[in-house]
Amino acid sequence: MRRADRVGAVLLLLFGAWFATVALQNYTYWSATGPGSGFFPFWLGLVMAVLAALLLVRAVREREPGPAWAPRGRGAVRFLGILGGSVIFVVLMPWLGMAVTTVLFLVGILRLLEGHSWPAAVAIAVATAAANWAVFTWWLRVPFPPGVLGF
Amino acid sequence: MDLLANLALGFSIAFTPFNLVMAATGVILGTLIGALPGVGPVSGVALLLPLTFGMPPTSGIIMLAALYAGSMYGGTITSVLINTPGESASVVTCIDGHQMALKGRAGPALGIAALGSFVAGTIGVVLLMGMSPLLARWALSFGPPETFALMLLGLTTVTGLTGENALKGYISMVLGLMLSMVGFDLISGDARYTGGINEMLDGVDFLPVAVGLFGLGEVLAGADQVMRQEILNARYGLRDVLPSLADWARSRWAIVRGTALGFVIGVLPGAGPTIATFLAYALEKKVSKHSEEFGHGAIEGVAAPESANNAASAGAMVPMLTLGIPGSATTAVMMGGLMMWGIRPGPLLFEKNPDFVWGLIASLYIANVMLVILNIGFIPVFVRALRIPYSILMALIVVFCITGAYSQNNKLWDVGQMLVFGVVGYGMRKLDYSPAALTLALVLGPLAERALRQALIISDSGVLILFQRPISGVLTTLALVAVAIPVGRAVLSLRGGPRPG
Repeated sequence: MRRADRVGAVLLLLFGAWFATVALQNYTYWSATGPGSGFFPFWLGLVMAVLAALLLVRAVREREPGPAWAPRGRGAVRFLGILGGSVIFVVLMPWLGMAVTTVLFLVGILRLLEGHSWPAAVAIAVATAAANWAVFTWWLRVPFPPGVLGF
Repeated sequence: MDLLANLALGFSIAFTPFNLVMAATGVILGTLIGALPGVGPVSGVALLLPLTFGMPPTSGIIMLAALYAGSMYGGTITSVLINTPGESASVVTCIDGHQMALKGRAGPALGIAALGSFVAGTIGVVLLMGMSPLLARWALSFGPPETFALMLLGLTTVTGLTGENALKGYISMVLGLMLSMVGFDLISGDARYTGGINEMLDGVDFLPVAVGLFGLGEVLAGADQVMRQEILNARYGLRDVLPSLADWARSRWAIVRGTALGFVIGVLPGAGPTIATFLAYALEKKVSKHSEEFGHGAIEGVAAPESANNAASAGAMVPMLTLGIPGSATTAVMMGGLMMWGIRPGPLLFEKNPDFVWGLIASLYIANVMLVILNIGFIPVFVRALRIPYSILMALIVVFCITGAYSQNNKLWDVGQMLVFGVVGYGMRKLDYSPAALTLALVLGPLAERALRQALIISDSGVLILFQRPISGVLTTLALVAVAIPVGRAVLSLRGGPRPG
């Protein structure tokens, strides 16, 4: 976590500085009537920079590397599987429609990632897609992309 | 008798079939969410927000508030039977609750928790009802300096208390304020920090952020934790669950003390139900005649914190409704929802939206009755739900996050935002930052900015106006103290050289 804190602190410091600079350059700090659109953001950027600097000093002085935080092994596979699956979900949704994508996603996660049996995975997936359709499409009338199959 | 007339109005709204169904949905889902480890009330409220768009705001808040109350009941089940807290406000309950279960007294532990929760929840709503109008009337006199000072206090205290790492808590808060600057500035009309992207003109949407941080982010953070749990077997017949007279006699005053303490802590900005439970447990251990039994299955050790968290969840609604300052992460997400429905919490709410406020209050009474029945008579149902493997639950939550994020504006852009904030939420959790502080700041940011700018416009002495008026002076000073303590400690530890460990 020490290294993550150092990297994070530098990024936040730069972000704060950038935020304050943009506020001063692109927006009005003080107008004729009072504080303008750049006033609050400028101070926010400055406060962020100060806090990040404090964090940086602390992380640099820290001797212990601190606990590992990144997922490893099974945890990492799961993390990437869920995240990757969600991204694929969003990419496929406009093409295949909500219901079909939901089924594919759940079967993929439950069977391939989590090792549940095929029947269980398919049953849960279909039931969820149906419930989801009932609540969001039928009851709340959310116009999901219909997809090539039309539902 | 204004109060009675208002309450009658409230019950006439709460007793409509649709609102009763919403309250029932809220309590059932809330108990489930409270019981399931890995999803707490914040995630629950965030995940259910999308469902509320299709309904009147009053029904929406009824469902969310019932869910919040329900999660305080449900957390107990997991603490007692598995020794894992279902949500953070039931951490303390594990200590004596699980010991009781090991001694074969799981039934009375759950029973006293449900009864204590009912007493505390109901008294909490009575206090909420009595106190809110007075507070709202007082807050009506607030000008921009007072409003800003109040928000500053809300932000700094919540941030200082939520994370273990105060510095990172403040960083999270400022990050949330910065995000809230994106989009049109309502005073000048400038489009700020949009990067030329049209979708950014309306700002960072609250819903995808909340769903991402507390739904997907929570799932991702749980992905590398193996959840293996042993559920203790116990009997849950009515006779097994209802506490004996001796149990009742021992717990009576613990419930009363837990309720009083919990409510006060809940009303204070920054200290929600979780802190209330720790304090209630400590207090009970100190005053109890059986203090040596604490840690070995003392029933007061279950009764006090479980009462405290219910009273606190009612108390936490007070500052949100009357001042527009949420006192906890859950009420922050709720307030984000209120603002999306076009309802502005604050002193005027009681005058402008009496249906909303009194409907909510009446529904909370009903919800507590439903909850005590549910948590005494239907424990086996929730125990069965605990057997759902986390791998299935997590996949379902992801589907719900995606559907929910899409459903507000029917735009894939929102789903994209949700995914990004899911990763952000994951990183924040892993690295000790505070998603709760970020969310609170995102909600309060635009309001705080406007109040500060208006205060500076009417001021002759710049920022000193905050100290020149008595109320805002006190509030600002308190806020500065709240920042100074942890930051001062951080600076001191720097001077002391590298910290050990």
